[in-house]
Amino acid sequence: MLINERGEREFSGTKDDWDAAARLAANCRDFKEDVEEEMIADEFRSCFNCRFRRWTETSFVCRAGF
Amino acid sequence: MSGGVTLKILVCIDDTDNMESPGTGHLASSLAEAVERFGWGQSLPVTRHQLFVHPDIPYTSHNSAMCFGAEIDEKRLDSLIAHASDYLTLESAPGSDPGLCVACFDRITEPEKLIRFGQRAKSEILAKEEAYELAHFQGIHLSEHGGTGQGVIGALAGAGLRLSGNDGRLKGKLKIRCENNTATVGEILAQTVVDTVMSLGGAVLREDEPIYVADWVKAVLKDGKYILPVYFSDGKYSQGINWSTCTKQQLRDY
Repeated sequence: MLINERGEREFSGTKDDWDAAARLAANCRDFKEDVEEEMIADEFRSCFNCRFRRWTETSFVCRAGF
Repeated sequence: MSGGVTLKILVCIDDTDNMESPGTGHLASSLAEAVERFGWGQSLPVTRHQLFVHPDIPYTSHNSAMCFGAEIDEKRLDSLIAHASDYLTLESAPGSDPGLCVACFDRITEPEKLIRFGQRAKSEILAKEEAYELAHFQGIHLSEHGGTGQGVIGALAGAGLRLSGNDGRLKGKLKIRCENNTATVGEILAQTVVDTVMSLGGAVLREDEPIYVADWVKAVLKDGKYILPVYFSDGKYSQGINWSTCTKQQLRDY
């Protein structure tokens, strides 16, 4: 994760970095399963399936803890 | 229904949730169920429609709108709108900006303009004023139910995208009874709302073609039909079964 210009935690990969999103989520204590219709990753535990992600144009911001 | 005039309608909602609340899809499903529970008519599946993701758009997390179709007794239209309005006001999450759109097919004077609005909402920042103006001239109900009411943009756009027949995936997983995770196209068509089983390349599969049915099976909207997309798995999951239902990742862009 990076800290972007808005002070938010932003995924440093892209929306196609499935493996990295899964690895991050595997070690994240804040992971929360999103609603079914918004889950997009085949790997269940993935930032791409997490309720706390907020999509950006190229990636996502993690809102866990906010 | 009471035997009066039947209206074909689209109901679309947007921006009803926050990080902690039930999703907008949950509220859309509840409204669709209410239509049948109150005896107003019959509901069609809920579809999810992705809108533009941009820092200047104040969406919660995904910026997707949820829409369902229904056929209702014309006399119940006002009741449905009143119920949906109250429901969104009461059930939308704190901090959300919910919007409601109810469009009657027969009353939309220029459907191509509604469809175009929906398509633009996937790649442009649109304003509430334009949404209200379009709704007014097309005879569409559009209302806001809390917060800034910005959700009216997505609600109208979602209705346009649903009307286009070429956007979105169905909410929920399809339930298909089968043995050894295998069903023919014909069996899938008989058990679900799916109209056509189609390869990602656009080929329509014959009814006797066997399909490997994975645990997560999702339909999409294409050419005005409910399509079950499949991909050529070449016997990877089961010997002699060449086609498999698509994965989440394969359907991400629908």
